[in-house]
Amino acid sequence: MSVKNGQADDTAGGSGLERRDFLRALGSTAAGAAVAAPLLAAGPAQAKETGAERTKARYRETEHVKAYYRTNRY
Amino acid sequence: MARMKFLCDSERCIECNACVTACKNEHEVPWGINRRRVVTINDGTPGERSISMACMHCTDAPCAAVCPVDCFYTTADGVVLHSKDLCIGCGYCFYACPFGAPQYPQLGNFGSRGKMDKCTFCSGGPEDDVTPAEYEKYGANRLAEGKLPLCAEMCSTKALLAGDGDIIASIYKERVVTRGYGTGAWGWSVAYKDASAA
Repeated sequence: MSVKNGQADDTAGGSGLERRDFLRALGSTAAGAAVAAPLLAAGPAQAKETGAERTKARYRETEHVKAYYRTNRY
Repeated sequence: MARMKFLCDSERCIECNACVTACKNEHEVPWGINRRRVVTINDGTPGERSISMACMHCTDAPCAAVCPVDCFYTTADGVVLHSKDLCIGCGYCFYACPFGAPQYPQLGNFGSRGKMDKCTFCSGGPEDDVTPAEYEKYGANRLAEGKLPLCAEMCSTKALLAGDGDIIASIYKERVVTRGYGTGAWGWSVAYKDASAA
């Protein structure tokens, strides 16, 4: 940007304005990303178990478990 | 109904710490926390014994009794679990537990504690079974997959037993009949005092 008689010459290329626009755009993009990041990081909502579902028995005497008991008798 | 229990046969434990490593790897346990550890008594003297210790999932769990936010619950399998969403990291359960099972991640440089972490008997937590959310907070849910805790499943000397309390007690009884009585089922008299409720 050239300066003539103490005033900025807006007609001479306008590179100063472009630079400011660039910084402004960069700032708004960064702010947008900061707002969006936690939303993306949180991932899909997971349903939580409630009541009886939470305390129900998970143990099953599968073939895998039977094999464990059998081999532990050695 | 099967009641899940751990039993460490101290006559067989060789202090290899494979159970500790397997647990840490299976559940991707954070730095500074061991859900299971091997304790050696009379180290270096005749009569030395090693015991693999974690949460014993007590019948009348002292941790649950002292929790100010009531984040503990016992499943139908007799497994004591807790909700990390409710836990405030107060540390009361650590003081109440006779086995030193509750562990806390260090959050900052001034001793601030995170959510309590402990053995889940490889059965996850209050999140939906076998989901990434459950794995992230509580680790693998092997019980829901039809398996038993990995620490016991891969114990090389079969010292650490896990599963239906009646069945592992009968396995232990067979061993005792064969070789004679040693130090007993360590921790059972503390964890499962009331035999009728267990």
